[in-house]
Parts: sequence; structure tokens; C-alpha cells
Amino acid sequence: MRDNDTWLRDLRASGEQRDAALADLHALLLRALPQGVSKWLSPENPQFESFIEDTAQETLLRVLDGLDSFEGRSQFTTWAYKIAARVALNELRRRRWRDVSLDRLEEEEANDSAPRQFASSDPSPESVIERGDILQRVQQILAEELTERQRAAMHAIHMQDVPMEEVARRMGTNRNALYKLLHDARLRLKHRLAREGLSPKELLEMFAQE
Amino acid sequence: MPTNNKMMKSIFDWFRRRFKKWYQPDPMMQKMLQSLAMTEEHEISCDDVFAVLDQFVEAVLRGENVLLFMPLVRQHLDMCPDCREEYESLLRMLQPAFT
Repeated sequence: MRDNDTWLRDLRASGEQRDAALADLHALLLRALPQGVSKWLSPENPQFESFIEDTAQETLLRVLDGLDSFEGRSQFTTWAYKIAARVALNELRRRRWRDVSLDRLEEEEANDSAPRQFASSDPSPESVIERGDILQRVQQILAEELTERQRAAMHAIHMQDVPMEEVARRMGTNRNALYKLLHDARLRLKHRLAREGLSPKELLEMFAQE
Repeated sequence: MPTNNKMMKSIFDWFRRRFKKWYQPDPMMQKMLQSLAMTEEHEISCDDVFAVLDQFVEAVLRGENVLLFMPLVRQHLDMCPDCREEYESLLRMLQPAFT
């Protein structure tokens, strides 16, 4: 069994030394991947074996490409498996969602409407149910603070279980940028609620009450 | 008086049923509020998590308290379904007994 330095040395070598290391890593990936993906792709699926093989091949390419980014903070094989996990799951996400229409996400950025502006409507003091008023205020805040695309992205992720990766692809961005965009949106909403004296936790508790 | 209370309750219940749809948040708002409740001022990105995921999973498998020394990774995994899946997949690869 190679240690980290030996893996790096052998994979950076040429000829037989490198081929042997690649063959060993390939074999390790073929052994580990089925367990790693069986939750998302059934081993009964006729494409299972070819999927594992394709993922292993793609992982080897990315491992060779990324050798310089390995910092030795884990076992080399754990690092390679991490790459395999992402390659496998991204491909499964793509396959699962490629034929599903998500129109609201794919509208041109230029058409992204500004947050909707509502006429100010103060909660009516004689309202029978205070919760209804608060709910309306929260709805208004969501409508005012989020753009149509942010709303569409959050809807796809929270309500349709569309992966972040797929939402990002449809929006012409990447997952990392989408996460940052949504974090900014969440923070803006949270701050706005705080300014209005509302906290998400308290709202959830209030709505959970029977 | 108990009878009055009962009557008030039934009136209240009637209102509650009548106005249920704008009295309860829709599922989307519920999810939004849940994610807002978990939102932190500083969060790390998917790339940041991926960079240390191997290290993080090994620490988990060694039984270390990752909440203590990698709380930002843990928080991101709670917020991001894609990174959470990749974490779980990696855990399964390293520990076949994990299901």
C-alpha cells in the first residue's frame, strides 16, 4: 500500500511506474464507487457497471490534472474518492434532470424582474387573527426583497428538490456562485425581518402552534 | 365560565378553519423560514467545503468532534443538499458499513 508521497511520486513518474499506480487507483475506485453511489443509482440498473467504469476513468483524469492541489491533509485515496463522489453525483444529477423543464430558471437575466413593490398595507388592528397579519407581512417582505430568479431558484431547490448544481447550470452560473447568491439573499431577508422585529425561529414556533 | 370558554373555542376554531389558508404559511414559506433560521452571517462556499471534505470525513470517521473544529463545514452541509450528498457518498466509500 502506497503512502501519500509514493502515490504522488508514482503518478508523476512516467512509463510503467505511472501505469501501475494508475491501475491500482483504478482498481480501488472500482471497489469503492459502487458503495458510494448505490443510494442514488441502483446496482440493479443495467447501466450501473458502465457508470462505475466511466466515473472511475473520469476521476483518474481529474486526479492527474489536480495532483498539484493535493495538500496531503488526508489520505491520498480519500482525496481521490472525494473527486470520484463529485464526478459521480454530478453526472447522476445531470441525467436525472436533463429532460425536466424548469422554465422560470432559464429566463434571460435581462428579464429578471426587480423585486415586486407592494403598496404599504399596515396590518389592520381589528384583524381577528394576528398570525394572518404577520404572515401577510412576511409574504410582502419575501416579495420585496427577492428577485424573480432568486425566488425561482429557491423554489426549485426547496420545493422540487432540484440539485443546486442543476439550478446553477440552468441559470448559466456555477454551484459555488449560486450558493453565494442565495446566502446573500437569505442574509438580506433575515436582516429585513430583524428590522421589522421578526425572527425566523419565533415565526416558525408561532406557526407551529396549534 | 366553562360553557363560555367552550363557546369561544368553537367560534375561534370556526375562524381558524375559515381563514386557514392565509393563517398558515405555505410549504415554500415554511422552508424559507427554516433556512433563514439556520442562516449565519458568515458561511463558507461549496468550493471551500470541497477543498477540506476529505479531511473532514476522515475526522468524522476518527470520531473527532467536527462541530468544534470545523463548525463552518458542518453548517454548510446542513444548508447545501449537493455538498451533503457528496459528503455522504464519500463516507460510504470509506466505510462500506455506513448506510
